[in-house]
Amino acid sequence: MARSTRGRWTDEEPAAYDYQPVPYAGPGTYEPDLYPDDAVATRQAKEESADDNQPPRRTAKSRLDEWMEVDFKFGGSRIKRKAVALVLLGAPGLVPLFFMLPALITLNSNTFAVSVDDTLGTGAELCLFLCLLVTPLSTITRQHWFVPLRRWYGIMMACCAIGDATAAGITDNFAGGVFGRLAGHVFELMGFIMVMLVIPLLITGNPWAQRKLGRYWKQLHRLIYVIWGLLAAHLMLLEGFGFESGSNGSGVAGDGDPIFHQRFYQYSVCSLFLLTLRLPPVKRWIVARQREGRNWLVYLTILPIFALFVFGFIFIVNEEIFKGLDSFAEHPSGE
Amino acid sequence: MSATYARNDQEERAGRVILVVTSLLAALLVIAGLIYARGTGERHQAALAAAGCEPSLFISGLPCTTEQMMASQYEAIATPATQQLNTEMAAYAVDERRDLAAAEADLSAEVATEQAFGKSLAAATFTPQNRAAAAALIQNAASSGTPVPLAASIFTPQVTAIADALIQANQARAELTAEQARSSSLTQLRSFNQRVQVASVAVQTEMTLIRKALDSPSP
Repeated sequence: MARSTRGRWTDEEPAAYDYQPVPYAGPGTYEPDLYPDDAVATRQAKEESADDNQPPRRTAKSRLDEWMEVDFKFGGSRIKRKAVALVLLGAPGLVPLFFMLPALITLNSNTFAVSVDDTLGTGAELCLFLCLLVTPLSTITRQHWFVPLRRWYGIMMACCAIGDATAAGITDNFAGGVFGRLAGHVFELMGFIMVMLVIPLLITGNPWAQRKLGRYWKQLHRLIYVIWGLLAAHLMLLEGFGFESGSNGSGVAGDGDPIFHQRFYQYSVCSLFLLTLRLPPVKRWIVARQREGRNWLVYLTILPIFALFVFGFIFIVNEEIFKGLDSFAEHPSGE
Repeated sequence: MSATYARNDQEERAGRVILVVTSLLAALLVIAGLIYARGTGERHQAALAAAGCEPSLFISGLPCTTEQMMASQYEAIATPATQQLNTEMAAYAVDERRDLAAAEADLSAEVATEQAFGKSLAAATFTPQNRAAAAALIQNAASSGTPVPLAASIFTPQVTAIADALIQANQARAELTAEQARSSSLTQLRSFNQRVQVASVAVQTEMTLIRKALDSPSP
């Protein structure tokens, strides 16, 4: 099939870091609304369906999607509602970097040495989860106006992770020079590999690179799942599976919630939601219920998993806010 | 075609099973989490008690301030000041009947000691500035692996309330002593003694209260 890659991409918001492969299973499995916003995946499916004489997929827009597309007048120019919503929803991505700004301006090496891993590391984790959250939310709600946030949070995750590694390489107390500080322990090595993997994603997370790389772009950006997996190993090696009685793992009295502060547990409960809703059979079941008009059943079934995600996510946000504010005040907490 | 439908049906069923099992597991975890969260307060108090920490001075993740540290901090402020003041008062008792200039010098020294005592107490009270400074000292000690310095031990809000009363009583005595030091004759000088005595009793009352609150023995 002859196609123009350039023409296909120019008017679309390409997915930066996270998308789902289309589980196309041949004739009879065509579902027009399955993954309409996954640009690469859509193209692939389009090719396949065309080869099998299937009708082309179309992008269905929900009522909210249409509402978001409407312009409004702001000052002398017209702005889409979607743009405002995306700016507001994307702004939290800058918060981890903002927290470290005073320490960067004053070159406060103590703040970097003590809390950069918590502020930027946790920030990177949050951005990764928000990036990975876009696709499941799009699947459940059948709305697509917020899909550009996936790219944004992917970029912010990369910036936080690179910033964390850079500061750790300069200011950490581990022996062995820069390399020792970055990869002297196994958990650090995991983090270092994650940062190395995120760099090509950051470089190619733009429409130009997407056009140039074509189908390889999608394969390259699947590295995000490797990073997701490595994060589990990183956190597991950092704190293990257990926790010190009555403490948050630092050997001093904690706030009485050691389990909730255990990073690997937070990661696990958040990942449960993100992973489950990526499984092709689950997505198929959801789409089938939506086609039956029983979206309430989808919401009802997913509610406990989403509640668990929120439960874990709140504690990561809590960690980010408290450590971040300490970093911002340049009285870093070394917990 | 029918094979594909069968496969889709099978996959959809698998999706339902995965989702239901995961949802049940998640629901159980959420319920367990909520039950566990109810005991947070007690666990926190137990952890602080086990470490001997003062709850109001607890800074998450940092070595905590213990009651003993607070008492030591107070003694480090009060004991030298009391000793110095006793020496100066003894000198004044000798000079008040025979040498106006010497007695005034003794009183000026008393004022300086009392003002220094008030300042040291104010630096140990529970204020946002003092707490931030204490946190920085604790943090530096934690990162350098050295013991927490005594200067990082600020008072709890409860002890601060008594310390504030002590600071006020001490300030009143210092003002009175300063006024006494400006006397033009020995008779005028001695006429202040009764009022200074009353002011000193007020200071001592607050000092007894603060020692009681800190569980610190009287000197």
